[in-house]
Amino acid sequence: MHTEQSAGNTPASPTAGSTPETPLFSEFAGDEDMADLVELFVDELAERVQAISQAVDSSDTATLTQLAHQLKGAAGGYGFGPITDSAAILEQLVKSDADSASIRNAADDLMTLCRRATAKPQ
Amino acid sequence: MANQRVLIIDDSQDIHRLVRARLKGLSVDIDSASSAAAGLDKVREQMPDLILLDVNMPGISGFEACEQLKNNPITHDIPVIFLTGVEESVNKVKGFDLGAVDYVTKPFDPAELRARVRTALKTKTLMDMLTSQAQLDGLTGLHNRRYFDDRIKQALDTVTRYKHPVGLLLLDVDHFKSINDTFGHPKGDQVLCKLAELLTQNVRVSDVACRYGGEEFAVILPDSSPDHTFQSGQRLLELVRNCTDFLVILNRPVTVSIGTACAEPSASITPQALINQADQALYAAKASGRNRVEAA
Repeated sequence: MHTEQSAGNTPASPTAGSTPETPLFSEFAGDEDMADLVELFVDELAERVQAISQAVDSSDTATLTQLAHQLKGAAGGYGFGPITDSAAILEQLVKSDADSASIRNAADDLMTLCRRATAKPQ
Repeated sequence: MANQRVLIIDDSQDIHRLVRARLKGLSVDIDSASSAAAGLDKVREQMPDLILLDVNMPGISGFEACEQLKNNPITHDIPVIFLTGVEESVNKVKGFDLGAVDYVTKPFDPAELRARVRTALKTKTLMDMLTSQAQLDGLTGLHNRRYFDDRIKQALDTVTRYKHPVGLLLLDVDHFKSINDTFGHPKGDQVLCKLAELLTQNVRVSDVACRYGGEEFAVILPDSSPDHTFQSGQRLLELVRNCTDFLVILNRPVTVSIGTACAEPSASITPQALINQADQALYAAKASGRNRVEAA
C-alpha cells in the first residue's frame, strides 16, 4: 500500500524546493517581530510531516496524537490557522479510535497543508 | 526593581518561542521547560513569579504538576496560568479548581496573552507586598511577633543540623509605663521607634530584630555563642543608655533590661523553652535593679 502511494501520487516525503499547490501564507507575514520565528516554524514543518507520516505508517497512535496536539496548539500562533484546525480534526479522530482510512485521510490533509505553508510571499 | 520571572512549561518548543516573542516588551525574564518534571525542578530553583503551564503533556500532566505546586507550601503562592486547547472547556474549570489563576487557550491571541500575564504579575506583586506587610510591626517598622515565631523556629532547626549555636535577646524598656503616664503615649511611641532604629542599625545583617510586643523587643542572633550573645546584649544596653536622642524626646535618658539565652548544638531545645529562658533572665535583670543584662 505504501509503495503504491508513493509511486502514484506526489511524493509523500517532504519535497525540496517546489511547494505543492498554492502556498499557504502566515497571517503574520507582514509582522517583522514574528518573521524569523515564522520562518523557523515553517522550516521545521518538513520534519513534522515526516514524523506524522511515519507515525501513520506504523500506527503509532501515541506519537500521532502528540504531534497533532502540538501542531494544533502552535500553528495558529504562527499565523497558520488552517493547520491548527486540520490538526485538531486529526487529533480528535486518533483519540476516538477512528478507522485507519479516516485517520490516514486526515493526516494527508494536514501534511498537505504543512507542505503548502510558506513564511512570506517571495 | 528586578524583573519578574515567568516560567513556561510546555512540551512544544514552538510554544516556548512564541510566548517569548509575544511577551517581548513586558520587562520580564522568561525561562522554559519542556516537561512537567523539568519544570517542577526549575520552579524550585528559581521561584518564578508566574508559571504558564500546558495541560496536555506526556509524562506528568499539567494538572498533576499544578497539584504538586499547590500542595507544597513553598510553591503554593506562585500563580499558574494554564495553556489549554480550545475544545478543552471542561479543563478550564478543573484548572481553577486546582488553584490556577487564569487560562489562555491555544492558539493564543498575542494581546490577550500579554494582558493575562500582566494582570497575573500585577496581582503577584500586590500579594507579595501584603505578605511582607503582614510580617511588619505597624508602629516601628520592625518585623512583628508572627515573623519572629517563624524565624526562631527556622533558626533552631539549623542549630542541630549545622552545629551552630543561636542566641536570643529579649529587651524590655525600663519603666515604660511611667514614661507613657508622664510624657503621654505619643512620646512613648517615639521612644519605641527610636529603639527600633537603634536595634536595626546595630545588629548584624544576619540578626533578626523584632518587636515582640508592647515595649518588648527580641533579637535572634544566628551563629552566636552564649558569650557573644551576652556581649551583644551588653553593647545594645550601652548604646541605649548613651543615646542622646532620648534626651531630646523626653529630657531624660532611657534604659533597657535584657535577658539572653542560647541554643547550643549539644542539646536540642524548642522555641518556647528558649524564649522562657531568655524571659527568666530578663526578669532577673529587672529584679536586680534594671539597666543590665542577665544571661540564662
